[in-house]
Amino acid sequence: MRSAPRFTRPPTLLAAVVAIATLLATLIATLLACSESRRATPERDIDDFGAVIDAGTITAPARIASLNPATTELLFALGAGPRLVARTTWDVWPNAARAIPDVGPGLRPNVEAVLARHPDLVVLYASAENRVAAEQLRAAGIKVIALRTDKIADFVRASHELGRATGEDAAAATVVDTMQRTLARVRAATLHLAHPTVFWHVWDSPIYTIGSGSFLDELLTIGGGTNVYADRTEPSPQVSLEDIIRRNPSVILAGATGKTSLMESPLWQSVRAVREDRVFVVDTNLVGRPSVRAGEAAASIARLLHPGIAL
Amino acid sequence: MSSALRVSLLWSGVALTVLLLAIAAIAYGAVPLDARMIVHAVAGDGDPITVAIVRTLRLPRAVLALLVGAGLGMAGAALQGALRNPLAEPYLLGVSGGAAVGAVTAVALGATGALVLPLASFAGATLAIAVALLVARASGGRADPRVLLMAGVIVGAFANAAIMVLLSNAPPNAIRNALWWMMGSVGDAGWLTVGWLTVYVALGGTLLLWFARDIDILALGEESAAALGVDAVRSSRSIFLIAALLSAATVAAAGLVGFVGLVVPHLVRSLGVRRHRPLIAGAALVGAGLVVAADLVARLARPPAELPLGAVTALLGVPFFLVQLRRLS
Repeated sequence: MRSAPRFTRPPTLLAAVVAIATLLATLIATLLACSESRRATPERDIDDFGAVIDAGTITAPARIASLNPATTELLFALGAGPRLVARTTWDVWPNAARAIPDVGPGLRPNVEAVLARHPDLVVLYASAENRVAAEQLRAAGIKVIALRTDKIADFVRASHELGRATGEDAAAATVVDTMQRTLARVRAATLHLAHPTVFWHVWDSPIYTIGSGSFLDELLTIGGGTNVYADRTEPSPQVSLEDIIRRNPSVILAGATGKTSLMESPLWQSVRAVREDRVFVVDTNLVGRPSVRAGEAAASIARLLHPGIAL
Repeated sequence: MSSALRVSLLWSGVALTVLLLAIAAIAYGAVPLDARMIVHAVAGDGDPITVAIVRTLRLPRAVLALLVGAGLGMAGAALQGALRNPLAEPYLLGVSGGAAVGAVTAVALGATGALVLPLASFAGATLAIAVALLVARASGGRADPRVLLMAGVIVGAFANAAIMVLLSNAPPNAIRNALWWMMGSVGDAGWLTVGWLTVYVALGGTLLLWFARDIDILALGEESAAALGVDAVRSSRSIFLIAALLSAATVAAAGLVGFVGLVVPHLVRSLGVRRHRPLIAGAALVGAGLVVAADLVARLARPPAELPLGAVTALLGVPFFLVQLRRLS
C-alpha cells in the first residue's frame, strides 16, 4: 500500500547542524548587542537605548508621557508637569502627579494605552524589557527617549537631556546645580569624620544588600559611611548571614519593616550591630531613587550616622 | 444527516469561531476604538493613532497568536501520535526547558538586542532536542518512543535546574525580564517575527501532514508498521525532530505558552477525529483559536496591565480538558 519511499536518512546530523548554526547566530547576536550597548553609554544626545535624541530639530513637546517615577518627578521639577498626559501606576510623587491619567506599568508598558493619550514625546526607563515598546512607539511616529535613572550621574544626564528636549534647559541647570551643591555640602561635612562600617539591609530571604554599583552606595559614601559590601560591584548582591557576621558592620541601615524583622529574628542576634541596637531606620521614600531630593537624602543618612552633625 | 455533512458543518463552525476570535482580537484591546475607524485603519487611512494601534500593534499580535497556537497544536498532535503517549507534548520533551535556558542565559549576560532573545531561546531549544535525540540513540541503539520521551523529560529537568541556578544569582532586573519571558506573551509581535514564524509553521505543518499517515501506521505497533513498510524508529525520530523544531520556533517568538500542545490534540480527538492528517489540521485550527482567545482575555482582564498569556491558555484549556476527560472515562 506504500509505493514511494519516505525520508530515509536519520535526521540527527541535521539536528546537530541546526544546533551549531543557531548557536553561532546567538553568539553573533550577543556580540552585536554588547557593542550596541557600549555605543549607548554616555555620549551626548544619544539615549540609553542608543537612539539619537533630536531635540534641536523639533518643537518642544506639548504632550509628554513619562513612564518612570523618577522622570515624572524630574519633569515636574523642570516645570514641565502641566504638559504630562500619561504616567505609570507608580508615579505618585509629587502629589500633582496623581491627577495625570494612569496608563499602567512602566516596564513593558501597554503601548496601546500610551498611544491613546496622543503623546508627542514618551520618556521610558532604559531597561531591556522596554526595547520593544520603544520600537513600537517609534513605528507609530512618536519621539521616544529611553533613560536610565539608576545613579546620581544618570539623574544629572536625564535632567540635561529632558531639559533640552522640553525646552527647559535653564530649569534643568538649576535643578542639577542645587542637588550637586547640597551633595557637596554633605560630603564636605562628613569628609573628616570617622566613617562607620555599614550594612545596608535591603531584603531578607534571600538577604540582599547594596554593592558599590548602586545609588544607595553613593548616598552612603557621601553621607559618611563605609559600605561593608563595597567590594561587590553589582547594584544589589545577595549575601549570607555568616558573611555579614564576619564583616561585623558597626551600623545597620534598614527600612522600618526591615528593622522590625531584624530585631525580632533570633538569627540576626548574632550580628553585633543588632545585639547592640545600632539598627537605624532610613526614610525609604526619600532615598528610594535618584531625584531632585538626592541631596536631602544624603543629608538624612549623614544625620543617622553622625548624630548632631551640622549641615 | 450524513456523517460527512455533519463533520464538514462541525469544522466550518470551528473555522468560523476562529475567524470571529481573530476579528475580535483586532477590534478589542486596552483602548476602545470605533468600529468604523478600525475598518479604515486596517486599510491604512484615518486617524494616525488608530492606524498605529491597529496596524503596528493589534494586527501582528493577532496573527502571531494564531501562528503560535497552530504550531503548538500541530506539534502536540504529531508528538502524541508518533510517541504513542497521550501525555507527550512539546514542552515535556525538553524544548521549553532548553529554550528557557537559552533565553535566561542571554538575559543574565545582559544581552538586550531585539533579536537576541528569540535566537538564544531557539538555540537552547535545538540544543536540548539534539541532546534528547543523542541520549535516546545512545541508550541501546534502537530508540523506542519511551526512551525518546524519557530523554526529553530528563533534559527538561536538567534545564530547569540550570535556570534556577542562573536566576538565583541574577540581578532583579534580569530575573523580572526572564520570568516575564517564561510566562509567554505575544505582545512583542512585529511583522518580522510574524514573517519568519509563518515560514516555520507552513513548512513544519506541511511536513507533519506528510508524515501523518506514518503516525497512523505507527499506532498499529512496530511490527505491523514494519510489515507496512514504515521504519518505526526512523519515522518517530523524524516526527519528533520536526515537531520539536516547530515548537522551538513558537517559543522563540512568544516565550512559553503552556498547555496548548497537550490539551488541543485531545480536544480535537474528542470531536471524533481519529486519523492523524485531519487531527493535525484540526489541532492547528483549534490551537490558533485557543491562543487568540487566551490573548484577548490576557489583554482585557484588567487593562492597561496584561496577564501572562501562558497562564491564561492553561486557565482556559484545563476546564475544557477536564470535561472531555470525564466524558471519555
